[in-house]
Amino acid sequence: MPQFDIATFSAQIFWLFVIFAVLYFLMSKIALPKVGEVLERRQKTIEDNLGKARALKDETDAAIAKYEAALAEARDAAQADIREASEKAAAEQAKKTEALVKKLSKKTSDAEKAIADAKTDALSGVAEAASEIAREATEKLIGVKVQAKTADKAVSAIVGE
Amino acid sequence: MAGPLEQFEIKPLAELSLGGIDISFTNSALWMVIAAVLVTCFMTLSMRRGALVPGRWQGAAEVMYEFVANMLKDNVGSAGRKYFPFIFTLFMFVMFGNLLGMIPHSFTFTSHIAVNFALALVIFIGVTVIGFMRHGTHYLRMFFPEGAPIATAIILVPIEIISYFSRPFSLAIRLFANMTVGHIMLKVIGGFVGLIGILGVLPFALLTGITVLEFGIAALQAYVFTILTCIYLHDAIHMH
Repeated sequence: MPQFDIATFSAQIFWLFVIFAVLYFLMSKIALPKVGEVLERRQKTIEDNLGKARALKDETDAAIAKYEAALAEARDAAQADIREASEKAAAEQAKKTEALVKKLSKKTSDAEKAIADAKTDALSGVAEAASEIAREATEKLIGVKVQAKTADKAVSAIVGE
Repeated sequence: MAGPLEQFEIKPLAELSLGGIDISFTNSALWMVIAAVLVTCFMTLSMRRGALVPGRWQGAAEVMYEFVANMLKDNVGSAGRKYFPFIFTLFMFVMFGNLLGMIPHSFTFTSHIAVNFALALVIFIGVTVIGFMRHGTHYLRMFFPEGAPIATAIILVPIEIISYFSRPFSLAIRLFANMTVGHIMLKVIGGFVGLIGILGVLPFALLTGITVLEFGIAALQAYVFTILTCIYLHDAIHMH
């Protein structure tokens, strides 16, 4: 087996050490620092970007909070305005209603008074007419002339009952 | 037809010697150079732009980096950070060595015990030195676990010493055996394909399956080699 040919060992081992040493030098001084640097830079970039994103998010959150506060304030103000307007409208309405009610009740009481006057007139007319009719009826039926005063008394006695 | 072991032969491409020791540039060294060049190109050209959002190649290079970095972090913790370049080089070198061996007519330098054992020995010595540097003579406690009754020392200490010193052997032989056996199997079964005529489709189908398996083993054994190194490093830094 060629592996056990001791005569070849020195040459193999010599070149192994030479080539391995050169490769070790190239890796440790040139290749690996470069890879490490690239990986480190990538890590740093990622962290920086994450930091930036976090800062932007904080800013956004602050802006949202501010916006929401402004919105709430505006809503409160609007509600206050609405309340005031509706209160004013309600008060005006109440005043108008009151005036109308007053006007209507005055009209009603006027009308009631007119009706009462008319009724009184009508009733007094009725009593007069009744005593007249009663007097004429009495004269025609029994030929007795009744005094107007007596007839009025009799009629008012019946009506008053 | 070439025998199944011929693929492992070391062929000098340029005869060299240093102080009487043979240091010829061989096919093994050539494939080590190819692996090193490919690893370097992969890790540098793909990262040339160093884009924030990686493309395909850059993504692949970053995946390898993070894979090894996580392996080290999970097994050793943050104290292993300074050994990352070594662990990364080790993983990439072994994995590319294993995978390049899957190219027909190429050479698998990780199928050679000399290479694997040299790597394992460097790791073993390095880890032992780190252990003694961090813990001083207290590192010898590795051979006798804290809290064990003193009477058991006579059994435990030899067992721990043997298990400690068998580390480089198990590390080297595991990789060597996996690579060698896989390649021999491919070669032998491949030999049947042409020999038995139309029935050759059967070994060919088997060969296809085994090839897929071998790719998996190539990556897996590189991973095992590296993770065991991480575990040894953990022991040296944190003791048990």
